[in-house]
Amino acid sequence: MNKKTNITDKILPSSLKISIEHGFNRRSYGQFRMILFFIMLTITAVPVMTIAMLGYSNYKSLLQKDEHIQLKWQLDGSVRAIEQMVDSLKSVVQFAARRDRYAELTTGNNLRQLFERLHRQYPFFADLGVIDQQGVQQAYYGPYDLQDTDYSGESWFKAVYDQGLHISRVYRGYRLVPHFAIAVSNIDPETRQKWVLRATIDAETLQRFVNTIKTNASDDLFLIDDESVLQTRSDYFGTTLSKFSEEVEMGIWEDISPQGETILHGIGNIRATPWSLVILKKGYMNQSDWLSFRSRLFLIVFACMAVSVVVIYSLVTLITSLIRKADEIQMGMMQEAEHTDKLASIGRLASGVAHEINNPLAIINQKTGLIDDLLHISSDFDQKETVLLSLKSIDASVERCKAITHRLLGFARRTEVLFAHFSVNEIIKEVLQFLENSMLYNRIKLDLQLQNEIPQIFSDHIQLQQIFLNIINNAIDAIGKDGTITIISNLIAGEVRIVIQDDGVGIPEEVLPHIFEPFFTTKETGKGTGLGLSITYGLIKKLGGDITVRSNVGKGTAFTITLPINCEQK
Amino acid sequence: MIENTKENIKVLIADDEIEFSSTLQTRLNLRKFQTVMANSGEETLRAVEEEEPDVLLLDLKMPDLDGLEVLARLKEEHADIKVIILTGHGSFEVGREGMELGAFDYIMKPVDLTILIAKIEEAYASR
Repeated sequence: MNKKTNITDKILPSSLKISIEHGFNRRSYGQFRMILFFIMLTITAVPVMTIAMLGYSNYKSLLQKDEHIQLKWQLDGSVRAIEQMVDSLKSVVQFAARRDRYAELTTGNNLRQLFERLHRQYPFFADLGVIDQQGVQQAYYGPYDLQDTDYSGESWFKAVYDQGLHISRVYRGYRLVPHFAIAVSNIDPETRQKWVLRATIDAETLQRFVNTIKTNASDDLFLIDDESVLQTRSDYFGTTLSKFSEEVEMGIWEDISPQGETILHGIGNIRATPWSLVILKKGYMNQSDWLSFRSRLFLIVFACMAVSVVVIYSLVTLITSLIRKADEIQMGMMQEAEHTDKLASIGRLASGVAHEINNPLAIINQKTGLIDDLLHISSDFDQKETVLLSLKSIDASVERCKAITHRLLGFARRTEVLFAHFSVNEIIKEVLQFLENSMLYNRIKLDLQLQNEIPQIFSDHIQLQQIFLNIINNAIDAIGKDGTITIISNLIAGEVRIVIQDDGVGIPEEVLPHIFEPFFTTKETGKGTGLGLSITYGLIKKLGGDITVRSNVGKGTAFTITLPINCEQK
Repeated sequence: MIENTKENIKVLIADDEIEFSSTLQTRLNLRKFQTVMANSGEETLRAVEEEEPDVLLLDLKMPDLDGLEVLARLKEEHADIKVIILTGHGSFEVGREGMELGAFDYIMKPVDLTILIAKIEEAYASR
């Protein structure tokens, strides 16, 4: 338990501890407020941030997955569409190259007529050529003179010879116009010789077809060959026959563009051709769904945090001010208790001392009395007068001591209270009767403002007399000659309040805190015991009341006495 | 009141401060009082038995018996004796307690002899 306390002691900053633990040192409220603020902010911010981050990352991965799947679908669909187009071209050429037509096509205008028929239906055909088993072009119809060209060394010829079909990459060729060729081989049933029909098609055809399948769902769509050369135009990589990339990987993958954007690549091979379809799509990061989600999320989190900060700040300010108030009340109570305690212990000490001094004082008193008695019955001697005078002076001193000790005992006597119902105003008037002469003599005017509606109070008559006597006496002393004493009584918040005010010399600020302490006096030595106000204070506290003082040097002093109507003896 | 009352009044001074009691005794004697001294509580009770004083000047703080105890015992057997409490140790409550126990009066030391004598005579007269 003890150890635990020690650990928390070490962790906690002093501003969070109970104020009593560090005595009367004031806690740092600024530090307290900061700590409280950050603790509450953390408690609020952590869950909000965690949920926001979870939502962010989940939605992000969901979008990412969804986007990959969509691109895959798009890629597959587009690849199938291109494959169908290629298939249909292939069928046209294969239909034209029926096996037994070799002889027919190599003679007369037959090839030309075939071309013209084809061209009417499919205007993108650029030329047609018939090549024999040895690779020599036996017939040709087209814009160039390619009759008898020998293709036996070309790789495409070997491929078509072996596989029966070949689709070439896009190349410029003699015409310097991008085009590609479809070649079909067949065996002539008569000569048992292989022959090849080769058709050249403008690459623009490919481009047009690609354009038809290009939709808004992708940012770029084009064909490349097996050496990564563009077969159609790309928005990003240039025109046909530009280089696309060094390495081409089939499937769906991500890459970062030189501009820092995430680019999704979808690449799929097109069956029976050297081509692959490439679809490029900017990543989800740049998509409006994602952007709007992100900005909404940020806005919500920011609004939550802003509201939290405002609410927490006002709460923390409120709590701090409440704690500060509580501390001040506690501190005040402790100081009050300390003050009362101090006065009480001084009172106990004083009465103890008074008791002890009374006995030797009584002996001195009796001895001087005896000497005096004896002197009066003895005959005169030289210095008899001087001795008698000295005795008188001793007696006077004993009287002074007696006054002090008896007052001290009166001070200690304040446990003795006799209660009855009576009017405070009457007591004040009684006391003033005692002091009438002294006030008249000093030309002190009296301003009485006693409220008649004050109910009778249940308190101690004698003690109250002593209280008012002490304070009014002090007021007379403070004025000296010529002045006014104002006495106001009224009922405030269920308590009787009496203000006794003089326009005398006033009490200096440095003296004010000590005036209720026993033996504290500013009067000349021998004139005051310094007990009057301390006794008064003790009596008022005893009666459950309170006394406060306000004073201005040169302007006067006002004592305010508050007394409960029904005093519970303390 | 008769002129020579003092000679008829027998005062018992009960106090453990001999310096005080003896001086007071001398002074009362000078004023023609009959006086007896007792220095403790027990001695006081004995002196009351033997001397039958009219007035007892009783100190409250004595070594063996407390003044109030003496007062309580006297109340049982010698209710007629007038007791004046004369003490330096008293407080108001003790004084009141003494009065309740039947003391005639309560005087705080030091006391002027004239006042004391007045009280003694008053007590004597009230018998």
